[in-house]
Amino acid sequence: MNKAAKLTAALAMMGFLAFAAAGCGDDKSAAATGDTLKFGVTNFADSLEPTDNYFGWVVMRYGLGECLVKFDEKMNAVPWLAESWSVSDDKLTWTFKINDKAVFSNGNKVTGEAVKKSIERTFEKAARAHAMFEPASITADGQNVMIKTQTPVATLPGMLGDPLFIIVDTSVTDRDYASQGPICTGPYVVKEYSKAKAVMDANPNYWDGEVPYKHVEIPTIDDPNTRAMALQSGEIDMAVNIAPGDLQLFEDKDKFNVSTIASLRDVLARINVADGKPMADKRLREALLSSLDRETYCKVLLKDTFVPGGPYLPPSVDYGFDEIKALDKNQYNVERAKELLAEAGWKDTNNDGYVDKDGKNLELDFIFYSGRAELPLFAEATQADAKKAGIKINLKNVDYNVLDGIGTRGEYDLLISNILTLAAGDPEVFINQYLKTNVNGSNPQNGSGYSNPAFDALSDRLAMEFDPAKRRALIIDMQKIIMEDAASLVFGYPETNMISSKAVANAKIMPCDYYWLTKDVKPAK
Amino acid sequence: MQTLINGLKTNRAFAVTSFFVLLLIAVALAAPLIAPYDPLEATMQNAYLAPNADHWFGTDKLGRDNFSRVLYGAAYSLSSVLLLVTVIFVIGTTLGVVAGYFGGKVDVVIMRVADMMISFPGMILAIAIAGILGGSLINAIIALTVVTWTKYARLARSMVLKVKKRDFVEAAIVNGGTSTHILWKHILPNILPLMVITAASDIGAMMMELAGLSFLGFGSQPPAPEWGLMLNEGRQQLQTAPWLMIFPGLAIFITVVIFNLWGDALRDVLDPRQEE
Repeated sequence: MNKAAKLTAALAMMGFLAFAAAGCGDDKSAAATGDTLKFGVTNFADSLEPTDNYFGWVVMRYGLGECLVKFDEKMNAVPWLAESWSVSDDKLTWTFKINDKAVFSNGNKVTGEAVKKSIERTFEKAARAHAMFEPASITADGQNVMIKTQTPVATLPGMLGDPLFIIVDTSVTDRDYASQGPICTGPYVVKEYSKAKAVMDANPNYWDGEVPYKHVEIPTIDDPNTRAMALQSGEIDMAVNIAPGDLQLFEDKDKFNVSTIASLRDVLARINVADGKPMADKRLREALLSSLDRETYCKVLLKDTFVPGGPYLPPSVDYGFDEIKALDKNQYNVERAKELLAEAGWKDTNNDGYVDKDGKNLELDFIFYSGRAELPLFAEATQADAKKAGIKINLKNVDYNVLDGIGTRGEYDLLISNILTLAAGDPEVFINQYLKTNVNGSNPQNGSGYSNPAFDALSDRLAMEFDPAKRRALIIDMQKIIMEDAASLVFGYPETNMISSKAVANAKIMPCDYYWLTKDVKPAK
Repeated sequence: MQTLINGLKTNRAFAVTSFFVLLLIAVALAAPLIAPYDPLEATMQNAYLAPNADHWFGTDKLGRDNFSRVLYGAAYSLSSVLLLVTVIFVIGTTLGVVAGYFGGKVDVVIMRVADMMISFPGMILAIAIAGILGGSLINAIIALTVVTWTKYARLARSMVLKVKKRDFVEAAIVNGGTSTHILWKHILPNILPLMVITAASDIGAMMMELAGLSFLGFGSQPPAPEWGLMLNEGRQQLQTAPWLMIFPGLAIFITVVIFNLWGDALRDVLDPRQEE
């Protein structure tokens, strides 16, 4: 090859490279333009059918669907599609008045009848709805919807704020809900949806003001570090749940808005206390709790993004956190853990570092999943700390999809998860679900064998109680029983966050997990 | 053996790389003596310390000493990779020799199974197997054995077929030698050098694959100080605590380079024909 040919080849090569580089760059610059928003999220839903699984959360988080009520920053139920509501004197009939302006994205008006059909659809399709409350009848009259229940349901408006009850237009029948989503009332409508990516456009008929972005792209970036890097590089404009360790990357206030809040979540491990399981012995449960330095996990390992655990409900909700925390006998104390183990007859007789009894080591199966960055960390920290007291923890990393089955069948000693405590604006569902006695499948979520008649009695009274002050007192008493029985291992209460570039305004994380992309998220001026 | 000793004297590359291999093994064996801390001892107040005088490689997410973990990781990773290569070598070679020597139906069955195995993408099949069996080091070794033995079986078989036609084997058969005798005395010694070379040069690749499975969560489980697993754990702090990835990564890199160079040098020594 002569010199000129070589030179030409070299130049052509450089040209190609420049071309390729320009191609890479294109993607990034698009993120910053005014009419398209790119939002990096974690997503578990492969369908947009709101009544299936917890997929309704995604429909709401992506700004597609809305409910009759929503929750404000203090978790009070406030008007959304319903402008007001009231309950009859016998506490059985709730009347919701639907906002007269409200229309679906196809232009149909949201009438009382449409809302009635939508709620009926939810009850038809979702078993979980029946677990929340059982309607005796639903009737519509103009813009009013009347819901009658068989027994008084104090928290009914809050329950209708659950994404399970997203109001959909049931008159549209030719739609594939899984990939196109239902016709709803939110500021955006779906163009394409898959678990990996959602592409959405502004809802041309939005009823509640102007929609700020023409297009929204929501790529699913499940790995928290990748999400952080995408935000750093400008590939996305906004992201949720940046890992605790990565928050320090976004400290530059000229480039990023950081919104953090004490969430309504618990990171807790259910403890299996069924007969024959080691944790059936309360002294062992107390020993385990005392052996764990939860303060350090939250302050050091998680860089102060968690409040150390103790009481069953987080400090972000007003259910006597400090009062119950003061009763916690099982603060970090390795010596106490060792004494309790010895008292229960467990000693290290063969010098292998683990306590044993009748020739068997004290071994616990700790089930976790790694979808949330803090769970493996708590699991490994537990393993390391429990070892110091002589308890052997076997870690089992499982897929999120099998977690529920393992929990209901009780195939664990400890099972950690990150749970929303106020599912319907009220902790009643949450406080019952793992701990109320399970008689022949009456409470399938309680696979741990835990049963305390005093707890059940309080729970039954709570179900009938409408007065907020009395409800609060009952819930505090229930938490005291949980604490006294060492029935649950609460690691901590996470902060949650939403970080956006300076090009985006009003990206704000709410205590309630349902609201991510709202009509208020708009381009910064 | 004599060839190896001659090789050490005459082939400088072989001498040098052998020295490094021995050094690695020595480090692995002496890890409990050299390591300043217990690799599993978590002092959580010291989490995420950058490399300093007390902790040369920094500390990890539970405040464990990264240097000690990398050292113990050498023992852990080396012993598991040597076990893996030995298992594959023994199983693959045995099946290949049996198939090649006896031929007929035995050959058809073994080789068709082997064909089936290689029609899958290896690493993906290994991930699937390890995933079904559940994450543990033993399961990872089983998974990699299942996908890798075919290479040895095919190689051994083709060499047996070649050797079988040689006069001295014919003579042994005519003399009434038993199959066992012929396999041990006449065939195995003739194919062994090439098999050993293949195994030696595979150590590096196998180490990468084991580390890969551990990285994906299908191999060693926490809190084992295994390099692949350490990489995975460090990944979450890639930007804020990079030393958690750099040091185990370097360890894997150095070890794999040493074993690959040693494998090449060993080939030159045992099988000098390839040099021409």
